[in-house]
Amino acid sequence: MLKKVQNLLIAGVMTLAGGMGAASAENIKIGFNVPLTGFAAADGQSALHGAELAVQQVNANGGVNGNMLELVVYDDQASPKEAAPLAIKMITQDEVVAGVSGSYSGSTRAAATIFAENSVPYISAYAIHPDITRAGDYVFRTSFMGEVQGRAGAKLIGEMLGKKRVTMITLNNDFGISLANGFKEKAADFGIEIISEYEYSIKDREFGAIVSKIKSDNPDAIYASGYFFTAGPLVSQLRAAGLDQPVIGQEGYDGQKFIEIAGAASEGVMITTSLDRDSTDPVTKAFIDGFSGKAGYPADMVGASAHTAILVLADAMSRATGNDNASLRDAIASTNLKASTGQISFNDLGEVRKDVQVQVVRNGNWHHHSIISDAVLLAPPAK
Amino acid sequence: MLAVDILIQGLIQGSIYALIALGLTLVYGLLRILHVAHASLFTLGGYLGVLVTNATGSLFLALVLAMLVVGFVGMASYRIIYRPLLSRPPLIALIASIGVFIASEEVFRLIFGPFSISYQTTPLQSQIDILPGIMLSEARIMVVVLAFVLLLGVNWLSRRTRLGIAARASVVDPGMAMSSGVNVETIRYAIFFIGSAFAAAAGVMVSLLNNLVEPTMGAVPSYKALAIIVLGGLGSVRGALIASLLLGVIETFGTIYLDDILDRDSIAFAFLILVLMIRPKGIFTKG
Repeated sequence: MLKKVQNLLIAGVMTLAGGMGAASAENIKIGFNVPLTGFAAADGQSALHGAELAVQQVNANGGVNGNMLELVVYDDQASPKEAAPLAIKMITQDEVVAGVSGSYSGSTRAAATIFAENSVPYISAYAIHPDITRAGDYVFRTSFMGEVQGRAGAKLIGEMLGKKRVTMITLNNDFGISLANGFKEKAADFGIEIISEYEYSIKDREFGAIVSKIKSDNPDAIYASGYFFTAGPLVSQLRAAGLDQPVIGQEGYDGQKFIEIAGAASEGVMITTSLDRDSTDPVTKAFIDGFSGKAGYPADMVGASAHTAILVLADAMSRATGNDNASLRDAIASTNLKASTGQISFNDLGEVRKDVQVQVVRNGNWHHHSIISDAVLLAPPAK
Repeated sequence: MLAVDILIQGLIQGSIYALIALGLTLVYGLLRILHVAHASLFTLGGYLGVLVTNATGSLFLALVLAMLVVGFVGMASYRIIYRPLLSRPPLIALIASIGVFIASEEVFRLIFGPFSISYQTTPLQSQIDILPGIMLSEARIMVVVLAFVLLLGVNWLSRRTRLGIAARASVVDPGMAMSSGVNVETIRYAIFFIGSAFAAAAGVMVSLLNNLVEPTMGAVPSYKALAIIVLGGLGSVRGALIASLLLGVIETFGTIYLDDILDRDSIAFAFLILVLMIRPKGIFTKG
């Protein structure tokens, strides 16, 4: 009796395994590490929506060379401690063909090192730390490095807006500091004098002291780095104290949440980012409509970046000359693709080359302000 | 004047800390337990404040409701988490409390979503000139006023009512209090209710200042409030109050003048370490 049960069990498991084996032989697995819990869960949610939308769209169009894409999603809590073992799991257990990071810089760096060591292509959707692409030839980045975006900010404030006396408010993590470095690097070129700089930590929501000090500094413009959950309170507290200088931020503000939190104070705030809500380009519009339909809230840069990264992979896969990692890597390196975040191509280091979108809040929504397309200024490092 | 402006910001910050630290020090004084989960009540207060105001348009109703509901949740937390563990070493209760706090952050995320929530129209945002060149929003003024009123209320309660006197007796000498007919259980529930309600009030105030309530907003208060009650002398209400205000002011000056060296929370702990090196039992030890 026991023997019969045992045989049935074995037969059952073999059939299941065989069946599953057959199914997954068709699917192309893409690893996706994203913060679904913890402090970065909000951005993780957007990134996941963007990536899933891209997979849906690619599969609806017949997949890649007839095979369907499959997203293997892991929650890395935006922590390097979590991301590293997940990267190993993705490569060894799930045997992903490539990986995409929908997470912040800390965790992306950790995972990138592992992907690079194993020669599996890895794309950082929106994490900006410079060392990510330096992990190896197999690592690419579809969004701006912090330094590049910071330089664009300097041009925007000094040249395009003509403001010269600037106060910087810098978030003291990878993101904020690299933005500040880029800004300071080019500030003098555009006639900007940085009259003061204040740092704050990612946990801060109360900026009373900094606001009071800036009131006495009296700058022409404020360049503030942060995420929507720090920039929202910061901007509303700045305006509440009677400071009405232009506030220029970056893609960390990008999203409807910033506008919700800061309310009326968000009007007129400008950011350097990659998603143009007013774009007439069909690829961008398809993304914006698809995202809000799927997620139930307006599209943001994080979602657009994850979407772009998946599309870049899918496009590279369709062009790859062979089935091995090296061919895929080379196909990615020769990308020239129009995506929602711009015309994507990479330099020798794997850094993206594209224009900077400047968006401004008008009537409670993000809108087009201008485009910065200075190839020399925006050239990312090639080593 | 800049220094006065910053001092006022510091006192506002300190008032928020005072509201949170009070409940923590009362529970410690009574049960010798470090009630880390207290910070999750602060977060719950914030959520209720925003949700009820958005639903009804009345901040006042939201504040009262938040304080009442969270007060009851606080009492429940005593009954469910701490009472069964009273016979064990306090370390067990501390670990349970930390576990509850960590879980609560994710529970909030599961119930309310990972995104923050905000007021549809934030109340009390009009600016008032309180001194030449210093403008404060009504919300900021309200923080200090509310803290003042609530703390005065607790002071009156503890000195002029039977409940308050009985509570002080239970803290100083539980055995004697019980044999004098004090119902220690009632006292415990009352203290958890009051402390939790105050934490909820702090949560609502912070939501007004930042227009942002998120699942992890209790993370910093959870350990900073511990630092404050240690600074003030474990169990001393007066100590917690003074330590709160002092810390608020020092942090605020520190964020401007020391921000290159230390971040805001490091300043709080650096100050704590400094004080403890001079006065190991805190500024005011429990008498």
